[in-house]
Amino acid sequence: MTATDADWARAYAKQALSDLRAREALIAANVEKCHRLHFLQMAAEKICKASLVKTHGHDQVRRTHACVQKQLPNIAREVFSKNKGTKTQNWQMNSIRRFAREIELVAPACDAADTREDNSEYPWLDAQGTVQTPCEYSFPDINDGDKMIVQLIRLIRSAAEDIVR
Amino acid sequence: MRKTKLATAKFLAKSHFKADPGLREVYLLEPVNEHDPNEPIKLLEVVKGTLERGVEPIGFAADPGRGIDYPFWIVELSPKEYRGIREKTLHFGEYVWTVGKQLVAR
Repeated sequence: MTATDADWARAYAKQALSDLRAREALIAANVEKCHRLHFLQMAAEKICKASLVKTHGHDQVRRTHACVQKQLPNIAREVFSKNKGTKTQNWQMNSIRRFAREIELVAPACDAADTREDNSEYPWLDAQGTVQTPCEYSFPDINDGDKMIVQLIRLIRSAAEDIVR
Repeated sequence: MRKTKLATAKFLAKSHFKADPGLREVYLLEPVNEHDPNEPIKLLEVVKGTLERGVEPIGFAADPGRGIDYPFWIVELSPKEYRGIREKTLHFGEYVWTVGKQLVAR
């Protein structure tokens, strides 16, 4: 039996939902910020891959990592238009774009052309020559208590559930 | 000294009104257990233009550096969903919450 692009898209979407459940469990367990960000980034990446697989096919997408910043705003427009014709407001799109960029940079594979080494998984050398450890780092560029994360998570869940259905 | 959960909830509501132009009303969900610092504060936020997904709490960690000494959950509803709540009671899994004190922007 050959796996179809629809199979792959559903699998990515299911994993995005699981990543969000993991984030909730980690918050309840009071773990370090790097892990909370990691699962948010993973969920965002998976839903973007699910969406891209639907339109471009799995072979074109599977090795892509830097897709969140570009694809998440597209997903937002699609999901909001399906939600009884709700249109995304400019401020919503701006906050989604801002978070999409910051979340994408949390992935070790994305470093903004070597200008951002901070990531949620692996230690890195900062500009002062100090080794930084994700579990001890504050990630000052992302406030993971930001209210707009609610919007982001609900967007990822809505898009993922649409694909899984 | 650690703030109370009510004081923290008021602080959160004010900051959320500043951050979210679609936010219309914020309510504290009860019961609030002031004696257990690990039990999250629960906020019901009525947001114009939000995706309608029913009662779906989203968790956030405590962040003492930003003045938030307790974990908190946000339940976001559209104005229409909020009008549909009966008896001011919300159900989520094993939890039953009552819509309590309204928290204001100022």
